[in-house]
Amino acid sequence: MMNLIDRFFSRTTGGSKEDAKSRLKILLVHDQVDLTPSQMDAMRAEILAVVARYAEIEPTKVDLRLERSDDGINLVSSVAVRRVNARMAVG
Amino acid sequence: MSECIVITSGKGGVGKTTSTANLGVALALMGKKVAVVDADIGLRNLDVILGLENRIVYDLVHVIEGECRLKQALIKDKRVEGLFLLPAAQTRDKNAVSPENMRDLVKQLKEDFDYILIDCPAGIEQGFKNSIAGADRAIIVTTPEVSALRDADRIIGLCEAAELPEPMLIVNRFRAKLVKRGDMLNKEDILDILAIPLIGMVPDHEDVIVTANRGYPAAFDDKSVVGEAYRRIARRITGETDVPFVATEEPDTMWTVMKRWMGFSKEVAS
Repeated sequence: MMNLIDRFFSRTTGGSKEDAKSRLKILLVHDQVDLTPSQMDAMRAEILAVVARYAEIEPTKVDLRLERSDDGINLVSSVAVRRVNARMAVG
Repeated sequence: MSECIVITSGKGGVGKTTSTANLGVALALMGKKVAVVDADIGLRNLDVILGLENRIVYDLVHVIEGECRLKQALIKDKRVEGLFLLPAAQTRDKNAVSPENMRDLVKQLKEDFDYILIDCPAGIEQGFKNSIAGADRAIIVTTPEVSALRDADRIIGLCEAAELPEPMLIVNRFRAKLVKRGDMLNKEDILDILAIPLIGMVPDHEDVIVTANRGYPAAFDDKSVVGEAYRRIARRITGETDVPFVATEEPDTMWTVMKRWMGFSKEVAS
């Protein structure tokens, strides 16, 4: 019954263009970069490993992705840091 | 001055052939001399969309292989002055033609025509390479869908690699109603993603199917919204600026009729 009411009042349609848009943006960057998802994962892991040598990072709050801008492709990253400790840095 | 424009898309079924036919008709109606060339060797369609399929004697491959003169292969459309079709071969394949062949052919056509429109086959293989070889610029046809836009983006890259000037975009099968409720990418979304200039938006309308059934492109019909969209694109092709984008027709509902009575203008989707 709720299902029926839901379908009547808030249709399942509407707003799917946002899905289309976000999927496309990711798709187009990756078409251009030609990196496989596993290569992307490897790059991400390596970059984070380097960062982790200098700072304690919050692994669940890591965002690293490729984005397209007018100038070309940017690697955009946001990494939450718990604590930066000078002594952590290894020569 | 004579110009060769390739109509391309990457993805099949988005309306390249329909667009080529309609733009050919619309340019001819403006008094231009136009040759439309079907470059889809082995899968010809442009003849059917134009309703000229019964008049084919020679085709593009015959011309290239020297079996006939170019003028013998060109089919004159009797409905409008100045429109000619060069059909593709149906029983050969795309390897019968090379980019050099196409460049020579376009050069020859340029002696007699103001515009040469090349209907490019789907894909990015030989047929695409042949089609862009002689072109001065490209018009990319797409629909507001992820798959078509992805392919369009790829084609933009290939046009750039081929050193063509920045292509222009036709967004086909636009549905104002779906855009309004957020279920279709709108003009801004598409231009944001593809970042090339828009040359026209064509509404998704039954006219396209009806006119294809009859072999009578919508551009001939004064009352058709699809025809009007293509006539406006043709004007933009000839360099006219400030051609307003066509108001996308919505089916009349009680509300739209009331709005019209009350003097609100009809919704403009593009």
